Amino acid sequence: MENAWIIPLFPLLSFLFLLLFGRRLKENSAYIGMVLTLASLVYSLVVLFERFNHPTYKAEVTWLTIGDVQLTAGFEVNQLNALMLVIVSLVSFLVHTYSKGYMHGDGRFHIFYAYLGLFTFAMLGLVVSPNLLQTYIFWELVGAGSFLLIGFYFYKEEAKAAAKKAFIMTRIGDVGLLIGMILLFWQVGSFEYDAIFQAVDEGAISAGMITLTAILIFVGAVGKSGQFPLHTWLPDAMEGPTPVSALIHAATMVAAGVYLVAALFPLFAASEAALMTIAIIGAFTAILAASIGLVQKDIKRVLAYSTVSQLGYMMLALGSAGYVAGVFHLMTHAFFKALLFLAAGSVIHAVHTQNIEEMGGLWKKLKLTAPLFLIGTLAISGVPLFSGFFSKDEILISTWVHGNTFLFWLAVIAAFFTAFYMFRLFFMVFTGDARSKQKEVHESPSVMTFPMIVLGILAIVAGYVNTPWFGTFLGDWLVADNEALGHGHIEGPAWIMIVATVVSLLGIYLAWLIYGKKSIQRDWLTVRMPLTYNVLYNKYYIDEFYQLTVVKATKGLTAILSFIETFIVEGLVKLVAGIVHGLGIIGSKIQNGQVQAYGTVAFVGLAVLIVIFALTGGYLK
Amino acid sequence: MDLDTLLSYQWGAMAPEFIILGVATILSIVDLFAPKRFDRRILGWIGFAGILAALAALMNLFAVDTVTILYDTFKLDAFAKVFKLLLLIGAALIMLLAIGYRPKEGMEEFKGEFYYLLLAGLLGTMIMSSSGDLITLFVGLELLSLSSYILAGIRKKHLPSNESAMKYIINGSIATAVTLFGMSYLYGITGTTNLAEMTNVLPQLNNSQYSYLMGIAFFMLLVGLSFKLATAPFHMWAPDVYQGAATPVTAFLSVVSKTAGFVILIRMVVIVFSNTQAGATGVDSVTPLLFKLQDFIAVLAGVTMVVGNVIALRQRNIKRLFAYSSIAHAGYLLVAVTSMSVFMFESIWFYLGAYLFMNVGAFAVIQLMTANNDNEDIAQFAGMYKRTPWLAVAMGVFILSLAGIPGTAGFIGKLNIFMGALISEPAHYILAALMIATTVVSYFYYFGILTQMFFRPSPVDGEVEKKKIPVGIGVAIGICVLATIAFGLFPNTALDFFHTNFGGFQ
Repeated sequence: MENAWIIPLFPLLSFLFLLLFGRRLKENSAYIGMVLTLASLVYSLVVLFERFNHPTYKAEVTWLTIGDVQLTAGFEVNQLNALMLVIVSLVSFLVHTYSKGYMHGDGRFHIFYAYLGLFTFAMLGLVVSPNLLQTYIFWELVGAGSFLLIGFYFYKEEAKAAAKKAFIMTRIGDVGLLIGMILLFWQVGSFEYDAIFQAVDEGAISAGMITLTAILIFVGAVGKSGQFPLHTWLPDAMEGPTPVSALIHAATMVAAGVYLVAALFPLFAASEAALMTIAIIGAFTAILAASIGLVQKDIKRVLAYSTVSQLGYMMLALGSAGYVAGVFHLMTHAFFKALLFLAAGSVIHAVHTQNIEEMGGLWKKLKLTAPLFLIGTLAISGVPLFSGFFSKDEILISTWVHGNTFLFWLAVIAAFFTAFYMFRLFFMVFTGDARSKQKEVHESPSVMTFPMIVLGILAIVAGYVNTPWFGTFLGDWLVADNEALGHGHIEGPAWIMIVATVVSLLGIYLAWLIYGKKSIQRDWLTVRMPLTYNVLYNKYYIDEFYQLTVVKATKGLTAILSFIETFIVEGLVKLVAGIVHGLGIIGSKIQNGQVQAYGTVAFVGLAVLIVIFALTGGYLK
Repeated sequence: MDLDTLLSYQWGAMAPEFIILGVATILSIVDLFAPKRFDRRILGWIGFAGILAALAALMNLFAVDTVTILYDTFKLDAFAKVFKLLLLIGAALIMLLAIGYRPKEGMEEFKGEFYYLLLAGLLGTMIMSSSGDLITLFVGLELLSLSSYILAGIRKKHLPSNESAMKYIINGSIATAVTLFGMSYLYGITGTTNLAEMTNVLPQLNNSQYSYLMGIAFFMLLVGLSFKLATAPFHMWAPDVYQGAATPVTAFLSVVSKTAGFVILIRMVVIVFSNTQAGATGVDSVTPLLFKLQDFIAVLAGVTMVVGNVIALRQRNIKRLFAYSSIAHAGYLLVAVTSMSVFMFESIWFYLGAYLFMNVGAFAVIQLMTANNDNEDIAQFAGMYKRTPWLAVAMGVFILSLAGIPGTAGFIGKLNIFMGALISEPAHYILAALMIATTVVSYFYYFGILTQMFFRPSPVDGEVEKKKIPVGIGVAIGICVLATIAFGLFPNTALDFFHTNFGGFQ
């Protein structure tokens, strides 16, 4: 564990190496990336196993001393960090492998791998940071990596727009994070997590200030994790290559917001109001995104909304004091959602479209992808014995026990929606007849199916580390020696599990009736309730709402301001620019190349100084 | 002085100076007797080895306590050691530049002079940083100045170089005269030329007329020294001289000579005048004169920053642009002098160190880019990334550091000075704000160069000529890039080194 700092450096090395030599290596770049992320993965596993038997390890060096203030840099391996290291490096390694097949033939292949390395470095650096400042630096670096990868196909207008949107929307959240961070520093005098928790523990910060800083930091998490109202960038981010969606917009970066809340959990736990805010935003996001997911036609967009919805679940869990439930779901979700994205990528790779209405009957043609996609679908729907079942159950119990009855039922309905739209997706893509002329459809090469198989296995078994039946190993380990994190396992009424199961089976049954057996007309909703359908299809018109309100209001304001601007502000700016420019001209003029002028300036300067000194110093009496 | 006293001195304290002096003497003799066809570049390598040896000797002296010899005229204290370190490293890097310097009209015959004059200049700066007496200080200053005058005109058959030397010597003489006049006031009031004795005598002067005369002396010294610093009001020579001089000489003037200027500014002005009372009565009798003069330095710092950054906006000649940039950086350093915070020494030291690496590195690249045709227009850098990607990336690092972008040594240096201005009592808000504002202005011309390098198409059509980078310059650029990034990411390695070795002096 003492050398865990080396884990983020492997991908950084990959980034630098590919930046310098990628052009010569061409597609062999993939091997560099794969080997180096594999090294990170192996070392992360070693660290994780070491962490089982050893206490938390933390190392720091003073990075900069300014007067009395000491800023430190270092790394910390606690339970959460060790777990995150493995999740991030595992998914990253699998995506590196998968991309070798998926990105084959792309002219900027090596640049893609370089960016992947940069992103993985930033993400791994983020999860070992022991203080807020370092977290913030990596947080921004992660955002930059995401920006580069979303806009990877920069010649596509949509990709460019999506990259810009993602960057700006998350930046809005980051402002909150930055302010919260500065306030905390002002109150505590340190960016260290430990110092902050200690101050909270000792009551050195007022209750109001705790709530304020907690909510401001949560605003940062809202932006990064695509929570309402800053969620609209995530579906658009699907313009990036599909492996990127799996890595960044399903398993790692979007989970960073959840990670941040989990890492600062003792701060949040000290404020009931902050927890409540998180729970409400989380539950609302879960149901909002799930309902939008019901009617989307683009395979990746359905998955994107499901990601937003599942992240809402995690926030709901954390907001209900269910630390273990949130982190547990973060882990299982990383596996099954990455699996779903990779499988979706494999489908897109085979049929060259993302519109599910043009797909169908692929079960027989994609003999490997289809069952794997089914595993992912079962897991996310919360079907018993799959990983998602256990983690979702844990979340529902936490919510119920914490007393948020209303939010609990919202979450149950969202679970129903989830089961429905995921199986709608499954039935439309894999069953029935091909709805459009498809050319030869081939299964993807083994370099792409191997990562999916690994994730498929994990999507089944990952849940068993924390079950009410075989022991709550993960939960007990996560909260060991830290009371602020709550209990390893929360006991809840048994009927919750039954309700969750019934609800998810109902959703699947309904989906089967409509899209499998087709005993209910598919356009049932469209015909009966066109309004509801349109509202859902257009994502509650949130983008339009922003367009109408924020953008319009801004434009209206602009009209007024532009008047002021043209005549007053611009005048001032022009004046300043003019002064600078004029000074430049005068300065250059005085600089006329005549030596005597230079001497004169020096003498005049000296004389002026002495005269003023004599006048102000009172020496001339 | 009899032989015994002479032998009883700890001459070891002067080992670095002796090494430089010895090597310079040997080089001049070899140069004199060597045949015309003899490749004199070997002399440059000998000079370089000499500087490294002096560096080793200096490091050997780190553990030694303060030594004063020759009746307190030569003083090896922590202050001298820590700044000599910068001077030697800077000179070593510039020697590498000088070895690789080949102007188009050729300078084979007097290449030897180039090397030993650099060493002589270096010797001057080292004596300045160790001097405990006005006389040694002035001798060091003159040694530096006279070597620099010749160096500026080392390209005998190149007209701008001659012009540059001429302007430099005229302005330099004025500055020397002013400085000397200021020194004579000091001697007149205290009756001694020794700085240690002066600091004993000065606190006992309690006549307000004395403090007025001390004020005049202060301004004369400040203005005289501002010639070496290239700060207002004595900055105007810099663009003309920097532009005309050979590029390694420009680097020498902007780095080593400037560092030496700050060394004596602190050694003499700050230490002497912080021991002088501002007046005879009341509060004045307990406040040092220096605090009363803070505002004047602040104004000069402000003017320097504005002049340097604003006029740089209009420059097309890269060396001229760097002259103004170097004026601006001297302005930032004056901010640190003004604020006199508790960590003034370390922030000035760190900034000069950071500035050394980024500026020598930048001049190394400029030297390579302009060597072929003496065309120093910024357009010369267009499409550089396509032609020589490595060199462009290195230049990118130097420019980002000069602009003070996080992750580089330049940023940490600026941050230190900025914080110092804010935490000192009273805080210099206006000066700090002006520093930020002028830094923003500087982005325009710095990023202008970046735009040229990375986004403009190359003016040279067709097959791009591969530049062969001389080994020495390549090594120098490599060291500068590494140091610029390393001290940006791990500033505490340098600051810890500073504290452990030299924490005790103030």
